[in-house]
Amino acid sequence: MYRIRFHGRGGQGMKTASRILGSAFFLEGFDVQDAPRYGAERRGAPIFAYVRASRQAINERGVIHHPDLVVVADDSLVPVPAAAVLQGLDAHTVTLINSHTSAADWQQRLNLAGPVLILPATEEAEDRAELPFVGTTCAAAAARLVGVISRDALAEAIRTELGALGSQLVEKNTEAALQAYDLMEPHAGTVTEGKAHSASGYARPDWIGMTVEDVDLAAPSIHAAATSVEVKTGLWRTLRPVIDYDRCSRCWWVCSTFCPDSAIAVDADGRPDIDYDHCKGCLICVAKCPPHAIEAIPEHLAQAAEETNA
Amino acid sequence: MTRTLLTGNAAAAWGARLASVDYVPAFPITPQTEIIETLAAWLDRDEMPGRLVMLESEHSMITAAGAAATSGVRVFTATSSQGLLYGMEMVYTVAGWRAPFVMVNVSRGLASPLTLEPDHTDIMAARDSGFLQIHCASCQEVLDSVLIAYRLAEDHRVRLPVIVNLDGFYLSFTREPVEIPEADAVSRFLPPFDAESTRFSASAPTSQAVAVLSGTPYSYFRYECHLAAQNAITVYDEAAAVFASVFGRHHEAVEAYRSEDADIVFVMIGSFATKAREAVDRLREAGQAVGLVRPRLLRPYPAEQLLRLLAGKRGVAVIDQNLSMGMGGVLHTELSAALYGKPGAPAVLLSFIGGLGGRDITPEEFYEIAAVTRQAAEDGVVPPPRLLYSRDEHREVTKLQAIAHTERNELESKP
Amino acid sequence: MNESRFKRMKDLPSTHLLGSGTPMCSGCGGLEALHEIYDILGPKTVFVNAAGCMTLLAVYPFTPFRGSWLYTAMASAPAGAQGIRDALDILIEQQRLPVEEDLEVVVLTGDGAAYGMGLSSTSGAMERDLNFLYICYDNEGYGNTGQQFSGATPHAARTATSKGPHGFAGFKKDLFSIWAAHKPSYVATVIGAEPLDLARKIEKAMQLKGPRLIIALAPCPTGWDYDPRESADIGKLAVSTGVWPLKEYVDGRVVHTKVPKQRQPVEDYLEKQGRFAHLFEPQRNEQLLQELQNSIDSYWAEIEH
Repeated sequence: MYRIRFHGRGGQGMKTASRILGSAFFLEGFDVQDAPRYGAERRGAPIFAYVRASRQAINERGVIHHPDLVVVADDSLVPVPAAAVLQGLDAHTVTLINSHTSAADWQQRLNLAGPVLILPATEEAEDRAELPFVGTTCAAAAARLVGVISRDALAEAIRTELGALGSQLVEKNTEAALQAYDLMEPHAGTVTEGKAHSASGYARPDWIGMTVEDVDLAAPSIHAAATSVEVKTGLWRTLRPVIDYDRCSRCWWVCSTFCPDSAIAVDADGRPDIDYDHCKGCLICVAKCPPHAIEAIPEHLAQAAEETNA
Repeated sequence: MTRTLLTGNAAAAWGARLASVDYVPAFPITPQTEIIETLAAWLDRDEMPGRLVMLESEHSMITAAGAAATSGVRVFTATSSQGLLYGMEMVYTVAGWRAPFVMVNVSRGLASPLTLEPDHTDIMAARDSGFLQIHCASCQEVLDSVLIAYRLAEDHRVRLPVIVNLDGFYLSFTREPVEIPEADAVSRFLPPFDAESTRFSASAPTSQAVAVLSGTPYSYFRYECHLAAQNAITVYDEAAAVFASVFGRHHEAVEAYRSEDADIVFVMIGSFATKAREAVDRLREAGQAVGLVRPRLLRPYPAEQLLRLLAGKRGVAVIDQNLSMGMGGVLHTELSAALYGKPGAPAVLLSFIGGLGGRDITPEEFYEIAAVTRQAAEDGVVPPPRLLYSRDEHREVTKLQAIAHTERNELESKP
Repeated sequence: MNESRFKRMKDLPSTHLLGSGTPMCSGCGGLEALHEIYDILGPKTVFVNAAGCMTLLAVYPFTPFRGSWLYTAMASAPAGAQGIRDALDILIEQQRLPVEEDLEVVVLTGDGAAYGMGLSSTSGAMERDLNFLYICYDNEGYGNTGQQFSGATPHAARTATSKGPHGFAGFKKDLFSIWAAHKPSYVATVIGAEPLDLARKIEKAMQLKGPRLIIALAPCPTGWDYDPRESADIGKLAVSTGVWPLKEYVDGRVVHTKVPKQRQPVEDYLEKQGRFAHLFEPQRNEQLLQELQNSIDSYWAEIEH
């Protein structure tokens, strides 16, 4: 069975990627499961989707713990623990990253036992939440890597999944997809079917006998204020607002008032300060700043610059 | 202490009054309405402290009850049948809040077809909710059970809402002699509600009933609710023992009537169990060793007590006044599960469905149930579940159908 | 009524109470309004929530509130408020709770609950003259389930369940008037994009007792299909085009608190949102655009009359 996991951000089309790949496998005669995994996460937040494909009936369900292929649509997610991109990877797992950075660099950074491949990020969108065709190209690259999906089946799958968006979009996506498919030609068949789970020599679950606990613990109650600040929603951000303090007019804290996430604090002198741990990058502040003192820059470039400076 | 004639509904209201409830969210429904009318009258006349608020539905009523209980006041409410079902989302919800309060349910058959007459299908729909359930067989038990229910609900080891169940008409509108205890005796039995940290106040911000997003915390909170419900077996026994010492009345989790030396035992809940008690006496006179086992406590399920009381019996007949569509009687199903594979489990466990929608169960039917059960024990063959329903009754329905101009087409059965 | 302490923009709070780190969408117009409202209300509050997007504000063990919270169900948050208000009153009356520990009870629901399933319990709470605040964040659809149309969806809007060439066939229910017909203490419309108007209304509501109900139009980048950065601008346009009249009902009268002097054409508001794109592409739906403009004009003609 092939077990494939797609990692991206809400809005990058990971569900579509899983469906295109699922349909392509299906057209090639495979039994298939594809599904997105939703939580409370929204646009920009890390999400994943997965595909299983087998010549036999599939009885497994739910999250893939040991993938044969992990596809990362947004390389800024790789180091984010909450995205769980690296979970369950072993020597058999191929990792495909949509990135400008080379495979060797990634291999060195991540020290993975399995091979790392790069899907060169072609066109760079300003906002990574809106990378053009990223879901489709990821699905196409995956289709080539498994080596059992033809160009025709891929194109047909794209037509099936994106048809409702109109022929123009289907055409553009198909073109981008086939390009990605052909790019992966040298690695066709690198991803092979993982073994079935073994029932012999398994790790025993560490079950406990649950005991009754005090109602103060055992009711779903929180006895504290504003614990949500422990959630770093800054991870969702694909664009970063940066204040040019020379231009900031210390106005009536427009940016701070309109920021839905209470992520802009203003000190006694009227100087605003953006809390990047929590700023989701909506950029309402950029739009509303009266003297246009806030600029949006791509988050990955901002992070790269920070790394260089450090 | 006063001994007087009270309906089951009035007894329920007296239970709430003696428990000094602070708050009564209410909504009328037959055959429960007399309870809230009685309380409203006392409150209007300042005969008891507290506040009654009429909500616009049972769904809202149970929400308000749970919300007030989680704010730290003692809450009483009552409903029945369709009302219980209309509020069912909140029945499950407030139990998960661990909101301790008492709700009386006056059992009544469920639609469709709509009826006002009693059976237990309504209360069975609440059995998996987290509410504990005490089932009453007399008006005295209704009053006493409300007091016991508060001790149970508010106990730190439990902290769950409790339903006290009584049968519509057969208890709700039936007067019986009831001893109304003195307030100071009640206060010796039932201390004031201490909500501890389950409350809202400005200096202690609290978020209650918070959502979870994965199976790990969900499983924990749900299973803890279940464990707290199971804790209530011990807490009930303690409460019943204290109750007996203060008031001299015994309300064990399971009533055993002449069952010790019986070879055939009836199992029933609710007010019709007194009919079974009567049948036991008549059968004993006729030389048959028959007894009755009646769970008062149905949630938590007193499995160990039932096993102990039924161990070694030749035959057990479960009489269900409820119907799980496509399965049968709920009490029979649950008892089967509790006894299966246990040493000493009775050889045969028979299922009888009766008393649906207020349909009577006659003495002759109890005698016949005993006879059928004895025969099954002798043969070692368990007959299929039996609906208590006579040829005359079927004839009566046929007449109604004729008036309704329904056509009688026999069901075809293929060979 | 005391004079407002919010005379100009500089009087608005510059520090914020609502905790960051919530799972609301980036650029959420509802959260924008809520955080402005919370700054005025303060932490001596208990929020009673109904099923909707904002149910996820508190996901165990995280809450953005500095005060209290109770999640109920979709239909019955006002009944939850009833239970808490009554309990607090009883506890204070019995001297089991010091008065300074009292809380303002605030219902928080989306339009799905407010305009539909929860309308009966809201009506009941008003009928019982419950002393509470109700805040509805109105993003004009069942947003948390993917923006299906609700009783709050405007005419012609595309939603997940109205994807046809004419969008939603129904009309937005006039909840303000339905609420006002109950003669509660206060009803107001607000929007996060007009923070001064919002602050004054919340301040006024807090000075009153009884049922006080607020509808905040909540521009929704996810459900309305626009770039999140435009949330506040679209909110402004909702007001300046006359789509979202800012008004209040108090002492039996409806007063408009911000009458746009020269109303912008409604198109300016519609064309910014993907949910109305079918009115402009592939070709302009002149008739429907005119209809939408007419209904706004006739509303204001009556007001200005």
